[in-house]
Amino acid sequence: MTLKGGTSQACAACKYQRRRCTADCPLAPYFPADQPKMFQNAHKLFGVSNILKVLRQLDPSQKLVAMKSIIYQANIRDKYPVHGCLGIIQQLWYQIQLAEEELQAIHAQLAFYRQHQQQEVSTGLSDSISQLQLGMATPSNALSLFHQDAPQNYDNTVSALPIGSHPTYSSNSANAANYNATYMDSKENNAVNSLWVQQPPYNNSSSNINSNPMVMQSQLINSQPLIIQQDCGTQDYDEMHPFFDTIDDRQSYIASKEAYESSSESSLKDTTQSVEHVAENELKSAAACFSLTSVN
Amino acid sequence: MMNSTRCAACKYLRRRCSPDCIFSPYFPPNNPQRFLEVHRIYGASNVAKMLEKAPVNQRAEAANSIHYEAHCRIKDPVYGCAGIITLLNQQINDAQCELAKIQAEIAALNGHHADILPPYQQITDASSFANYPVEGDGAFPATHDPSFPQFYLNS
Repeated sequence: MTLKGGTSQACAACKYQRRRCTADCPLAPYFPADQPKMFQNAHKLFGVSNILKVLRQLDPSQKLVAMKSIIYQANIRDKYPVHGCLGIIQQLWYQIQLAEEELQAIHAQLAFYRQHQQQEVSTGLSDSISQLQLGMATPSNALSLFHQDAPQNYDNTVSALPIGSHPTYSSNSANAANYNATYMDSKENNAVNSLWVQQPPYNNSSSNINSNPMVMQSQLINSQPLIIQQDCGTQDYDEMHPFFDTIDDRQSYIASKEAYESSSESSLKDTTQSVEHVAENELKSAAACFSLTSVN
Repeated sequence: MMNSTRCAACKYLRRRCSPDCIFSPYFPPNNPQRFLEVHRIYGASNVAKMLEKAPVNQRAEAANSIHYEAHCRIKDPVYGCAGIITLLNQQINDAQCELAKIQAEIAALNGHHADILPPYQQITDASSFANYPVEGDGAFPATHDPSFPQFYLNS
């Protein structure tokens, strides 16, 4: 239905309701005429009056974002009539749980590797000092690190290590049957939760679930930041390039170290040979002096 | 024949609660707030239509999801549950970034300890995240679907 004397088309909302679309139609900015399905979904879920009710209680600056979220929610409900957005939230929460478990495991492994690396460095330093003092290498000590009883040490190390300061999911805090509300209040003195969604909404499909689902407010944005670094993106490459440079350095260090350790025996021979060679030269020079002085 | 106790919906709407009332299994009289929130956002007729459209064995889940979304919309009229989805997506992205960084570091350290520990076996990878099965509706969109709106980030 077109405006009287005008060329602009009625919005999808007015088209659907078969009424005149005025210049100040509140829904016209959000439901263009070329996308009737979008309005149909929103109308099926909310209804025009309910959409207008939501818009009325918002600031003008928030209306566009609110309408986008309403349209998104309606589209999801159209696509997934039973679970809607809740199903997506549950799926995402499950993925976060998987990622968190993986992070915990990987932190433990990283700590173990770092500890071993430190041990290697300290052992290498002590060996080099002893070599300087004694003047010769002891190959058995240099290779001892690689023959440690790893599995036992690993278990002890892992059990002793702290998992890390990253946030963890506390599944013990909730009753699985009765779902309790946990608003992510920034005032809560609970460093563990921080931004992590604590519980999955509606774990069971029972109709007797305590109806206080979890909601993450916009105050989450102002809450304590995640321990997980937020600097992903283009900065990652800048940060990782120096890291890979150090990897190269380490490789060269290890290569030289291994070469040294594998040829330790041969270097022993070389050392003794050089010592003998020096001694022989001294003798020869001494003999030469003697012979020179003895000639008359 | 009238029920001795009306469901929360019929109590609120002040009408007779029939034995085959669509609301009564999911909106018990001991929890009037539940129906109140749902009615405030969606309206009773829309909720009835959605419940009737769902298979009988999935109506409880449908009622729960409807109530959850209504509650989110009441608590956050601007973003509703879409904001939660955005935040969760962001958390997953952050976690995967950190995973990638740490795995790179472990790969570097792995070369030193090849005979001590086997290389780290990744529990999951990004592609497996999208395969969580959900009954009834079928597969959900993948986590990094570009069509996912970023409500909080764009505001």
